[in-house]
Amino acid sequence: MSIPRSRVLDLMKVQCRIFNTTFNPTQQRLGTKILNQRLRGPAVASYYPPRVGTIQDLRKLYPQYDVPDDEEDEWLEHMQIAKSRGKGPPKKKRTAAESKKFNKRK
Amino acid sequence: MAQFRAKKLDIGCFVNIRNIRDHTKRKVFAEHEPERQALRYLIRNTALPQRVRAQAQLQLSQMHCYTRFTQIKNRCIMGGKGRGIFSDFRLGRYQFRINALSGNLPGVRKASW
Repeated sequence: MSIPRSRVLDLMKVQCRIFNTTFNPTQQRLGTKILNQRLRGPAVASYYPPRVGTIQDLRKLYPQYDVPDDEEDEWLEHMQIAKSRGKGPPKKKRTAAESKKFNKRK
Repeated sequence: MAQFRAKKLDIGCFVNIRNIRDHTKRKVFAEHEPERQALRYLIRNTALPQRVRAQAQLQLSQMHCYTRFTQIKNRCIMGGKGRGIFSDFRLGRYQFRINALSGNLPGVRKASW
């Protein structure tokens, strides 16, 4: 007693519908393997721990409080001293003509 | 490549340029993974016209190398080392030993029999 091919195909069709797979009786290469792969991007991207708990974060979270930052204060003080001695950073160039590095006469 | 790198430091572990670069690659890979998988699907699907598949192949090969998974390497998050990494702990073998002996890794103890 052999089962006709069409009957087996019907069974396969129902099976595919139930388990949500692709009905592919001729066994063509349809690339469904790739569609079934799960995306590993989020797991890969979270390898390094994120930077949290910085003073900038605290300031953003609690704008009503004044969060002191010793390092920043020190830097600002240093910059002030440097500026008063004429050793501060050069002014930001706003245009292309100003920023030409080699436009000076020699 | 600097165009992908975050403008501000966004990792909170050991920082050196190799760790930052690897982190950048990971983010770029995560961002472009659906696109890559879609192109791979087009390429592998033999029911599609040959022209479409060839175009997909070309497009995939012309994507930036940072979008490729093979660019990514596990690095030690406490010492930046690129070799001898226990991927379960994300630590290099020496950092692993130091941390395990000092009891920083829960469930890890020195074998003795």
